[in-house]
This record gives sequence, C-alpha cells and structure tokens, in this order.
Amino acid sequence: MSFRFLPDVALADVAFEAESDTVDGLFTTCARAITDIMVDPETVRPTVTREFELSSPDLDRLLYDFLTELIYTKDVDSLLFRTFEVKVDTRRVSLAATARGEAIDRERHRLRNDVKAVTMHLFGIKKDGKNWKTTVVLDI
Amino acid sequence: MPVSDAIKQVSDVSWEIPTSYKPGMNVPARIYATKKLLDAMDSGVIEQATNVACLPGIVRYSYAMADAHWGYGFPIGGVAAFDTETGVISPGGVGFDVNCGMRLIRTNLRFAEVKPKIKELVDLIFKLVPAGVGVKGSQNFNQSQMADITGLGVRWCAENDLAWEDDPLHVEEGGYIKGADISKVSRQAISRGVSQFGTLGSGNHYLEIQVVDPDRYLDRKLAKEFGIVHDDQVMVMIHCGSRGFGHQVCSDYLRNFESGMRSFGIEVRDRDLACLPFSSKDGQDYYSAMVCAANFAFVNRQIIVNKVREAFATVFHREAEAMDMHLIYDVCHNVAKVETHSFDGTRAKLLVHRKGATRSFGPGHPDIPAPYRDVGQPVIIGGSMETGSYLLVGTTKAMEDTFGSTAHGSGRTMSRTAAKREVRGAELQRKMLERGIYVKAATMDGLAEEAGMAYKDISEVVETMDRAGISKKVAALRPVGNIKG
Repeated sequence: MSFRFLPDVALADVAFEAESDTVDGLFTTCARAITDIMVDPETVRPTVTREFELSSPDLDRLLYDFLTELIYTKDVDSLLFRTFEVKVDTRRVSLAATARGEAIDRERHRLRNDVKAVTMHLFGIKKDGKNWKTTVVLDI
Repeated sequence: MPVSDAIKQVSDVSWEIPTSYKPGMNVPARIYATKKLLDAMDSGVIEQATNVACLPGIVRYSYAMADAHWGYGFPIGGVAAFDTETGVISPGGVGFDVNCGMRLIRTNLRFAEVKPKIKELVDLIFKLVPAGVGVKGSQNFNQSQMADITGLGVRWCAENDLAWEDDPLHVEEGGYIKGADISKVSRQAISRGVSQFGTLGSGNHYLEIQVVDPDRYLDRKLAKEFGIVHDDQVMVMIHCGSRGFGHQVCSDYLRNFESGMRSFGIEVRDRDLACLPFSSKDGQDYYSAMVCAANFAFVNRQIIVNKVREAFATVFHREAEAMDMHLIYDVCHNVAKVETHSFDGTRAKLLVHRKGATRSFGPGHPDIPAPYRDVGQPVIIGGSMETGSYLLVGTTKAMEDTFGSTAHGSGRTMSRTAAKREVRGAELQRKMLERGIYVKAATMDGLAEEAGMAYKDISEVVETMDRAGISKKVAALRPVGNIKG
C-alpha cells in the first residue's frame, strides 16, 4: 500500500496517486493520504474510534463518497484519523471502515492544508495487473 | 491545427481562437493577455477555453482573462454566458468554493498611526478570525436559521444587528442573490457550514491590512469616489468564500450532474465540464443551492468584517464608525448569475458563469449602488501576499465586450508542492517582515505555498485589463499585515 503526491497535476490544489494489491488497501491508502495532507499523522493519537458504513452505485462513487465523508467528519466533528481499517464489498459496492484518531488539537497537532473537497479530475479506480490504482485531486 | 497557427491577435491585449480550431466549438475563444502573459499561459487554458466553447447554448465567446490558468473543466479566469432557455449550467464553471470573493473595507487611519501597532492588530485579528484545518467560528448560528441566512445574506445580517445599515448596499447584488432554496441543500452541507461563519479557511485565502500605494498607482479623483482621500490611507481586504458549505454543495451536485447528462444526450470533452440544461429540474436545483452557498459566503465575509472592526476598535481605542470602517465593496469571483445583457443587437437574460473572474459593470448600470452609479462598479483584484492588490472600476466597454467581466487575481504559475521546494515558510515570513509586511499564518507550509513567486505578476494582469478597457485602475494597495490559513 503506498501513495505519492503528484506535484505537477494540480496548480492550486493537491493530487496524489495511491496503489495497493487489494481494493481494501487502496481505500485505506487514500484515507491515509488525505490525513497526511491535513496533518502529520505521527502527531495524532488513535484515542477515538469512528465507524463508517457506506454503499454507492459503483466503486468509483464509493471511494469518492468515503473520502468526502472523512472531509465532512473533519469539519463537523473536528476529528482527524491516524489509522484506518477498510473492508470493501465489491459485490454489494459497500464498505465498512474503522477509523481511529482524535479531535483537532492546534497546540499538539502539526497541521498542514485544509482539504475541502474531492474533485472528479482524473478520478477513477483502475486495475493495473495485480494492483489497484487511483489518482485523487483534492480542492484545498 | 496547432493553436499557434489558429490563434489570431485582435488587439495588443486580446486574442481569438476561431471555431474552426476544434470540432464542436459553438463560439470562438477570446483571451485577454499581453504577448508576455499569453506566452507564459499554460496550454491547459487554451484547451479548456476551447472545450467550454463547445458547451450547448454558449453565446458570443468563451473567455479567458489575463490571470487565467487551468482548472477543472473551465479554466480559472474563465467566463462563459449561456442562453437561459437553451444553455447549460455547470458546477465546474462556478468552482467548488462558491462565491469565493473579495471584500475591501476602508478606514480613515493613516499608515503612520497603524505601523507601530501592526503586530498587535494582526495578532488580535488572527485570534478573532479562525483560519486553518477544521476551524470553527465563534458565531453560534443554528441550523434552523440557515434558511434565512442563506436566503437573505447580508440583508439578514443588517436586520439582526450583524451589519451596519449601509453594508448590504456595498456588496454585489445588494448582499444576497435572489433564488436561494435551502431545501435543495443537503443536510451535510448545512452541518458543515453552520459552525464555519466568520472563518477564513486556508489555501490562498487571506485577510490583509493594506496601504494605498501611490508610487505604484493612484487615480486620486476616482479613488475619492470610493472614500479613499489620503495617499497613505489604510484599508483591509478579505479573500475567502463559502467554506465547507459551498464545497459540499458542489460535491453533492457534481455526482448527480455526471449521471444526469446521459439522459439529456449531452456529451462533454472533459468530465469536469459536467453540465445540465439550466431549465432542467436538476439544473434549477443546483442553481438554487449554489445561490444559498453564494449568500453564505457574503455572510461569512460580513462576520469577518465585524471581527475586524472589533479588532481595530480594541487596538486604536475608538469606535469603528469613528474610523470610517465602511465597506468599499464586495465582489464574487466564483459564481453563475442570471444577468441581462445587450449583445449582437439584442437584449437577453443570460446565465453568466464567472470562475475566477470578477463582475465589472460600467457607469449607469442599475445594479451598481447609487453612490457609485455614475462612476462604475468597484472591482477588487487580489495579488499575492508579497505583491499587493488593486482597486479598479468597471467600464462601459466591459459591458460591450465581456458581459461585464474582468480578471480576479494573479493566477498561479507553480504548484503548491513546487513552491514548498523553493521556499521555506519561516524564511519567507522573516524576509517579508524585513520588507515591512507582518504575516501570521496558521501553518508555515501554507505560507510557503503562497509565496509571491508562485503567482503571475499582478501589475501585468491589471494593466492588461486596463488597456483592454475592461476595468480601469483606481488604486494600488500594498500589504503591511497579513493573516493566512
């Protein structure tokens, strides 16, 4: 499971490419990437647990909806997450995820950029040989 | 055909790409730029402006202003007007941050009085106006108020002692766009937005204490029309938008637009150009929700103004009224609005998308507040935090040429990651202080990303639009204090 930032993709925003040998791993990696954009994850303690359950019309939408839900949780509940366990049911196009983190602490957390939305730009999950890949461009 | 063969110079600051350049173009593309700006423009601008030209119902031109750079679907700095019956509405032509915009407030303070207190002032504003990741505002509205707030915007604020009586008059559209319908906004957008009033956000958003800069430009006669009467008068400029509310509205509707296009047989060259007929139910629903978000942003900037007035009163020990802290104006630069325009011998209601572009209405227009109507609409164009900004005025030529539209800012030339590689935030902060600009930022990374060298030359952008006759320069404003998210 890995992600890397794409510095030349979005001038005003942030883009990353994520890759994993499982679809569960891809979703987990994307969630970690979003966290990494917003905060140094090492400074976030995994003391609060939040469960997510989603279903969507297709797999791309499921990832879009999941990442949008994380952004929503950051704004409404002030939660940032350090770890994620995501289980995707590709047949039902649904997921169950457990995220662990804590409320934003401006003294202790090394905060970075505020992610405001997932764009549709270049968005789409692809299978490349054994690996699942996607590009995500985020509005900052 | 390569664009270099297709592009024709129309004037020293404008260029045209004909419909023959790309199959499906309904109108030509018109780009406002000096040769220097055009040569430096990323190729995405041409690609996107000509893609927009293919959209159904577009009239006259697909425009790119002098600060244009590529965005999602529409270029940032893009303007496109559509027939309201046959044309489309596109969230990509508005942007995620609905009514990201600029507000300019004057004071009667002179720089000599403010300079020794700039640190105290900026530090206090930084406390009163939250900025950065996941911030919440101190204004405790509740969800049941959101229909009224997003319906009546700054007018609601004035009715509830959250604005001065003349504040709504000095905001585009009188402080609220008509047509809001909160029932078209999701529960998630309302939940995200309700606690964010009075917050600055992050990225390229800022709050800046500025001084009139006559060495760079000042038309004293025009400036006086907007209450600028001293060569060293202190101003405050705010750049922010509709926060999580607007972003969620866009996210919610983008999902529907993509799937909805198929049922209308609309095909676009770029999925970010997802659009629907403006006359369709989904098109109208998005418009109503977008208007809620636009009015949210007007209110957000109003709450911030209240905090700025409070900070000045605390630091200078007098009431904000005594310091003449009235609004000069507030402009949207990410919005789609129904406006009536004359063109090609006819007069019609059009849906004008301005994405990273500013309204620039000329003298006599009834939508300009009465005190400014003889002069024209104030236009606020923001530069980077190192180079300063401009106040300009709208023109009759803008009404004739660009549906009353002009540029909005400098436009980025470098990605955030590339900027951080070149510049260290702490070092930049120190250098700016040496140059007389005290910056307080929520994060040093965020500061580095906003370094001046990541942006086009604001003066060249503004000069281009002035030479094109689209917006005339009034005053250059240089930064002396800055808050960044």
